[in-house]
Amino acid sequence: MIRKEIVLPAPRDEVWQALTDPEQLADWFANDVELDLRPGGDAYFGWDNGEQRRATVTDVEPGERLAFSWEDEGEVEFTLADDVDGTRLTVVETAPAWTTALDLQASALALA
Amino acid sequence: MPDALNQVFSALADPSRRHLLGYLADHGTATTTEMSGELPMTRQAVAKHLATLSGAGLVESERAGREIRYRLTATGEEWDERLERLLALVSRDRPDGA
Repeated sequence: MIRKEIVLPAPRDEVWQALTDPEQLADWFANDVELDLRPGGDAYFGWDNGEQRRATVTDVEPGERLAFSWEDEGEVEFTLADDVDGTRLTVVETAPAWTTALDLQASALALA
Repeated sequence: MPDALNQVFSALADPSRRHLLGYLADHGTATTTEMSGELPMTRQAVAKHLATLSGAGLVESERAGREIRYRLTATGEEWDERLERLLALVSRDRPDGA
């Protein structure tokens, strides 16, 4: 599991826009984005290096939570919370097949 | 035990493969030739071990020109980069950071 947290100097509704407006997503997440923002909606992300990924939106709670599930494997969840400096954004990505592998990587290095 | 987990344990069971993981952890990326040059393993042995490690999802590769570079499977670095860009995006009209 990958978990990242960042405090963004913007109110929650602006951060929500950046997470859900395809044009803004194309500025930070991928290079080409299509998003049908509703549970069960399709999402498409294309990158300039030719990588393409499809996902299905699983949860939409405006200003609070956005989740989608990769077509191949794994899930991404964004959670927003108020912070004195703006908005605290938490990202959690899980990918069942290799999550355990990554957790074990640390142990492997300790044994090396 | 799930197959994926079995593969991970088998991959880690070999000391040479643990050396390769350690080498990649220290160096970031490396080619088969670089690794065989610095570790007591032939190029063929390195290639074979890398195939096992990548089958277990511990190592990934990318082609850079004529060579293939290996690295430990991403541990969220791509998210660090994305969040940096998101920070830049939402900060764009806020030079005072307010």
